[in-house]
Amino acid sequence: MKTKDTTVFLEVKNLVIHYETDNGVVEAVNNISFKMNRGETLSLVGETGAGKTTTALGLLNLVPNPPGRIIAGEILLNGENLLKMSPHQMQKIRGSKITMIFQDPMTSLNPIETVGDQISEVIKLHNKVSRAEAAQMACDMLEKVGIPAERYGDYPHQFSGGMKQRVVIAIALACDPELLISDEPTSALDVTIQAQVLDTMRHLKQELKTSMLMITHDLGVVAETSDNVAVMYAGEIVEYGALRQVFKDTRHPYTQALFDSLPDINKNVERLIPIKGLTPDPSSLPNYCSFYDRCTKRMEECRKTDPAVLDVGDGHLVKCLLFASERSSHE
Amino acid sequence: MSKFLEVKNLKKYYETNRGTLHAVDGVSFSLEKGETLGVVGESGCGKSTLGQTVLHLRKPTEGEIYFNGEDISNPTKKKRHDLCQHMQIIFQDPFSSLNPRMTVKQIISEPLKIFNAVKNKGELEERVAKLMETVGLAKRFVNTYPHELDGGRRQRIGIARALALEPSFIVCDEPVSALDVSIQAQVLNLMQDLQEQLNLTYIFITHDLSVVKHISNNIMVMYLGVVVEHTSSQSLFAAPLHPYTKALLSAIPHSDIDMPRERILLRGEISSPIEPPPGCRFAKRCNYATEKCFTEDPVMEEIYPGHEVACHNVKEINAIP
Repeated sequence: MKTKDTTVFLEVKNLVIHYETDNGVVEAVNNISFKMNRGETLSLVGETGAGKTTTALGLLNLVPNPPGRIIAGEILLNGENLLKMSPHQMQKIRGSKITMIFQDPMTSLNPIETVGDQISEVIKLHNKVSRAEAAQMACDMLEKVGIPAERYGDYPHQFSGGMKQRVVIAIALACDPELLISDEPTSALDVTIQAQVLDTMRHLKQELKTSMLMITHDLGVVAETSDNVAVMYAGEIVEYGALRQVFKDTRHPYTQALFDSLPDINKNVERLIPIKGLTPDPSSLPNYCSFYDRCTKRMEECRKTDPAVLDVGDGHLVKCLLFASERSSHE
Repeated sequence: MSKFLEVKNLKKYYETNRGTLHAVDGVSFSLEKGETLGVVGESGCGKSTLGQTVLHLRKPTEGEIYFNGEDISNPTKKKRHDLCQHMQIIFQDPFSSLNPRMTVKQIISEPLKIFNAVKNKGELEERVAKLMETVGLAKRFVNTYPHELDGGRRQRIGIARALALEPSFIVCDEPVSALDVSIQAQVLNLMQDLQEQLNLTYIFITHDLSVVKHISNNIMVMYLGVVVEHTSSQSLFAAPLHPYTKALLSAIPHSDIDMPRERILLRGEISSPIEPPPGCRFAKRCNYATEKCFTEDPVMEEIYPGHEVACHNVKEINAIP
């Protein structure tokens, strides 16, 4: 078993991803940077079109090209830039060092191959093992995610949604990856099943010491799974920090507005406070703060510049001019 | 005085190759005018089928439905058609419930034309404009097609269409689950405002418990075609009595990181609604199941005033004398 160290193993620097379409350039990911420590769970939160999934696909160098293109940036995995690797080298990383679980378990499994074969396929591809050894490892993996090994020979359609997602998790973790990217892993599942699957993921993460990048729009899921949180809006990280910093000491007006617009099961609120307006069109983003049009705390200066990312204390990063003065007083 | 809507022992069965599927299996409830009844449950529990059967979008297999005191369990074709003026539905998916080849105006005016609710073109335009204003759709969208609009605006078209004939009763089938949270809040607020202005009665079907708590007066929890608990929104969340409701509420991930979490993890998954065995539908996954639960169907019993539960062991589980 790996020893748990807290060194940075993944670093994303100034990543920019665009989709070049006939109707203009869609600026999906705009200059985002973050670091992940070994064993950490980082959540990327945001609404539809915030660039969460594109960021994840970028990490795997899987952005569909064309129309997608990684314009700039670096993705350093243990100091090596993934964006400089040959397709062959990248192939070796995908599935062994970095793996991904997609939202919909119904479409991410091959319907005409048994689930056991689908797991052992990954194992054989990345390890020098015999067919029998791979099958044995696949059986172990099934047991780990809570499926009896006897079901090795069953096909995906014989499983329910929650069980299928467990199979997908087994495939993703079969080669003991360093980083597991989960794109809305439980959004298609019912709450009681979601609770079971999240519980399994939590246990496995602890057992295997895997780091996880969790992509979700559900702030409840974030609260239950993450160490750190990055809130995305219009392709940018607008707030980043430890779970407690972002949830209890919320700074960015967008993050605050997200919390306010959510019906809370523990509170009685007569009316919700929606965020007025819509997310900006990613093919014509403003050159000032992209949340300006919907912000309740906007100021005159917000229209003039694109705010810089500021540290408001202990690594709590906010991309908002409201805190510019606060920081200068700190200095 | 008669109830606004009364449903008695409603059943909807489907014949399949593997036997009879009990989608809705003996559901009874009543609604007051202006009330919102939330129906919650997980996929396959029959909540959408219930909503559609009440509206006669699906023919009930058995049971009685009374609307404003009138028996509508077995309407004639004409009666069924006329009922549309009084009861309407808003569907979950604003992407597939609007005809992609019709403009916003055509979609909203269709019910008005079918029921000859307007005399001339001028009046039709006026009504459409009024409806768009009511649901907060800007006038400039009148000639656009649904695909040109975002999810929130599309759902507003669905709401405007449902309101066109000035119904008194609307079944809302997961109206906000396809929307982002910030848009979801806009639509929920709109629905609350409309209810107040137009004195609407809602059946609000959803799997999202925080949404249902926010919008409903009373809540029914369904499991595999039957209602297991029915009470006011407040008492359901303050003190759930049925073991399934307890597990369901404990499973919701909530965003307050300082709230203590006591999660009840359920064993297994929802069983098949085809030819269900006798006894409590939930018994196989229940932590408190006794022998009786596997042989005898529990019936709805009023434990506290207005708080009904269908569970053999409800008193033991909750230490009620």
